[in-house]
Amino acid sequence: MRLTYLNISFLISLLATVLFFSSPVLAGGGEAFFNKKGCLECHRVTGGPDETTIEAVLEKKGPELWYAGSKFRPGFIARWLTDPKPIRPMAYYSLTEKNKGDHVRLVPAEALEIAAYLMTLKSATVKPSGIRPHMNIKGKKVFGKEFSCYACHKIKNRKKVLGGLSGPSLVGTRARLNPDWIYAYLTNPRAFRPVMDMPVFAGLVSPKKISHLAEYVSSLE
Amino acid sequence: MLSGFLTVEAGTINVKQIYRFYCAQCHGTEGRGDGINDRPEMPVSPRDHTSRAEMSKLTDEEILDVINNGGEATGKSTVMPAFGKTLKVEEVEALKAYLRELCDC
Repeated sequence: MRLTYLNISFLISLLATVLFFSSPVLAGGGEAFFNKKGCLECHRVTGGPDETTIEAVLEKKGPELWYAGSKFRPGFIARWLTDPKPIRPMAYYSLTEKNKGDHVRLVPAEALEIAAYLMTLKSATVKPSGIRPHMNIKGKKVFGKEFSCYACHKIKNRKKVLGGLSGPSLVGTRARLNPDWIYAYLTNPRAFRPVMDMPVFAGLVSPKKISHLAEYVSSLE
Repeated sequence: MLSGFLTVEAGTINVKQIYRFYCAQCHGTEGRGDGINDRPEMPVSPRDHTSRAEMSKLTDEEILDVINNGGEATGKSTVMPAFGKTLKVEEVEALKAYLRELCDC
C-alpha cells in the first residue's frame, strides 16, 4: 500500500486512539488519579457522616463522595464526568449564585478510571430494599401533594421542567441514583448527612409511604 | 435591632444562621418571602415574615405548629414542610422569637 499523507495521518490518529483508550491513565489507578486531579479540594471520600454543624456543611465546596458507590447507578459517574452538566441549579449551597457548570471535564479514559474508584466507596446503610423504579402513583402523590418535594427539586412534567432551585434537580434520577440509596437516604438521612438543609421526612409518614416515594423518585426521567 | 443570637440552657443558638440555612431557601435571606424557590409554578408564595399585617394574625402556638408540622397543620399548603424531625425544640422556639423580631409584632 502506498503511504500517502492522508493515510499516514489516519494511522497516527488510530494509534493515538487505541493508546488513549487502552492504557491506564496513571499508575495507581483511579484513586491516585482522583487525588492528582485535585478532586479532594471539593469532595470528601473518607470519614463518614462528619459534617455535624451548619458551618461544616457551608464550608463544603462539593458533595461528599464517601458513599458514591452506594449512591450512584453504575455507569453514571463516568458518563457525567465526560459531560458534567449541572445537577444543582445553584452553586453548591448558595442562595445567590447560579451553578456555572464549570466542573472539570474529563476524557473517557480518565472518567472511567475515577468512576471505577468511586464506585468502590460504599455505605453499609444502603442495603437491598426491593425498591423498583416505576411510576408509583402513591409515591407521586406523596411527592406532589403530601411533601411538595417540587418546592425545592426540579422534575420533568409533561416535557416541561418545573420546581424550586435550592435542591438538586431530580430530572434524570432514573439514570443517576441507586434506588436503594434513595430509600436509605429518605429513611435515615443522618447516616449520610447529620445536618442538611432538606427537612427530615422519616418519622412523619410510614416506611411504606417512603418506599412508594422512593419508587417514584427513582423512576424520574 | 436583631441580635440573631439567643442564649438558652444548652448554649448559644445562632438563629440567623438557622434561618438562613433552612428558611431562606423559600422565605429569602431577609425574610421577605422572596427566596430562590419562590417560582411562578408554585401554588402559593412563601410568607413574607417581615409583614406585620400577615404575621400578627398568627399566635405563637400557630407559628410553632407550622414550623414543627408544616403548612398543612394550619390548613395551609404542604409546600411549607414540617421541620419537627429536623430541628431541636429550642431551635424552633428561637426561630419563632426571630420571626417575631422580623415582623416586629
